[in-house]
Amino acid sequence: MGKKVLVVDDDADVRTFVTTVVETNGYTPIVATNGEEAMAKVRGDKPDLIVLDVLMPRESGIRMYRELKTDDTLKTIPVVILSGIAKRTFLRSQAALTEFGGQAVPEPAAYLEKPTEPEELAGTIKKILG
Amino acid sequence: MSTLLLIDDEEGIRKVLSLSLRKDGYQVLAAENGEKGLGAFRQNLPPIVLTDIKMPGIDGIEVLKRVKEIAPDTEVIVITGHGDIELAIQSLQLGASDFITKPVSDEALSIALKRAEQKLEMKRRLKEYTHDLESMVKAATEELRRRYEFEDKLIQSSIDGIVATNEKGSVVIFNEGASRIFGYSRLEAIRRMDIDVLYPTEIAREIKEGLYGKKYGEEHIFRWKGINVKAKDGQEMPVRFSGAILYEKEEVVGSVGFLQDIREIKRLEQELIESERLAAIGQTVAGLAHCVKNILYGLKGGVYVVNTALKSNNPEQLNTGWDMVNRNIGKVSDLVMDLLNYSKEREPDYQRCFLNTIAGEVCDLMELAAQEAGVKIIRNFDQAIGEVTLDPKGIHRCVLNLVSNAIDACRFDLDRKKDCVVEVKTALEDKDTVVIEVSDNGCGMDEEVKNKIFTSFFSTKGGAGTGLGLLVTQKIIKEHGGTITVESEPGKGSTFAIRLPLRENV
Repeated sequence: MGKKVLVVDDDADVRTFVTTVVETNGYTPIVATNGEEAMAKVRGDKPDLIVLDVLMPRESGIRMYRELKTDDTLKTIPVVILSGIAKRTFLRSQAALTEFGGQAVPEPAAYLEKPTEPEELAGTIKKILG
Repeated sequence: MSTLLLIDDEEGIRKVLSLSLRKDGYQVLAAENGEKGLGAFRQNLPPIVLTDIKMPGIDGIEVLKRVKEIAPDTEVIVITGHGDIELAIQSLQLGASDFITKPVSDEALSIALKRAEQKLEMKRRLKEYTHDLESMVKAATEELRRRYEFEDKLIQSSIDGIVATNEKGSVVIFNEGASRIFGYSRLEAIRRMDIDVLYPTEIAREIKEGLYGKKYGEEHIFRWKGINVKAKDGQEMPVRFSGAILYEKEEVVGSVGFLQDIREIKRLEQELIESERLAAIGQTVAGLAHCVKNILYGLKGGVYVVNTALKSNNPEQLNTGWDMVNRNIGKVSDLVMDLLNYSKEREPDYQRCFLNTIAGEVCDLMELAAQEAGVKIIRNFDQAIGEVTLDPKGIHRCVLNLVSNAIDACRFDLDRKKDCVVEVKTALEDKDTVVIEVSDNGCGMDEEVKNKIFTSFFSTKGGAGTGLGLLVTQKIIKEHGGTITVESEPGKGSTFAIRLPLRENV
């Protein structure tokens, strides 16, 4: 059984795409369609990597990212953000939240802007998981 | 202190007169002969010259002539000898201001000088006045010219037609705007036409009465009446007319009329609507680009999955991938159709159909998406609605849009414990109207959002919405002659109601 990759995205097509990339490269995919479901699976399945979308209804990826990185038991899990919004916009939102929330939060392990080529995604995951 | 030139060949006289003159306050230049005297004159140009007539060389008459040539305004007083009346008269004729006879008495000299001074003073004043007057007239003329040019420019540049007449009703001002409306050139109109030719009869008559008829002196203003005037080629031009009688100190001096070309206004209105629509479409390009990006991603992703499946011979994966491709091709079509629908004028494709069938089809289509979102669709169709005349594809599009929005509203609702429900209802409101209602108990909208949803490319769905859906829906409803309304409360849900007029067989 290969390393576990949790794929979080509300768009079915994106989920299919990412899980196919994950599987093809020898990892085991776990899926979640929203932040709430994802947090449950993180605590339950303990994935080795999380591929996270940002723009989602209900709990957005931004909030979930902060939750992960401020939880001592979860913050070591590398997170690859795969999003339709630009990296600098995401980082700015984090900076604003830090100002309000207090705790500073590290940058994600990788930030990919949609759409990505399958090779790029696979390469990024491989670099992190080995 | 005036300067005076004294020319006399007798030294004695020079000395005595100089003393006397200096005592009177003159600065005296003395010369012993005509030649030296003229030299001194040229150099100093004194206003007064006192010269002996009988002198060797250039005599006094010659000096007088020359001085008058050089500076005609110089006052020259000649000193004549006893019995030289002839010479005295000659010198007066040549412009000398006075003569005094030898021996020169102080009194005579004094009087002559006084007279000379007075003359000089008068000449000076006259010059001043003339000069002042000249420059004042010049300035006034310039000012007048400028004002006139400015007003002319004003009148010419007005987009409206301006026609002014004199007190008899004859055209005196006819600007470009008027030329455009009537088709006559300025030359044809000014002083050649009168208001009878240009204005319709009643207007012309009223103006004439104001100018010199029964209504003379009355306040006479027409305000933006819509009238038709006849152009040169016989065409009736619709204009808005506004006019007045012009008075100056209680006397009629003429009339003025302003004409607004309504065609121009209508044309501008049309242009404005068109360009607003195009601008709105432009606004959406950014939103669309995002949407298209997502769809492309779906397509590329699908192709990738298909390729992977083919390589690893995995039929299940192949199906999944192919589904992705198909679905996204569908999305592209929908998007393009939406855009095309929005950007052109369409007549509904009226057909006889069953409204409930259309509503049912939409619910069937959305069943899967509803389930995935944890939403229940309830159908509430009025069986009394029989065959109706509508554009089935258009109405299908509208209902689909509303139901899809309703499901999204539930998905976005933050209340996780809620049982989300979308109700699709059809009803016969009265014998002329049928109602389609789509309500949800999802996130609802506040005032600000409610105001925006029908008026601009606005989406609350982040990356997933194009902002086009409701606009297209609204357009289709309008084309049917129907209305769409919304009620909503944040946190409680929304209800959209479409009302369509029932038509007989079209």
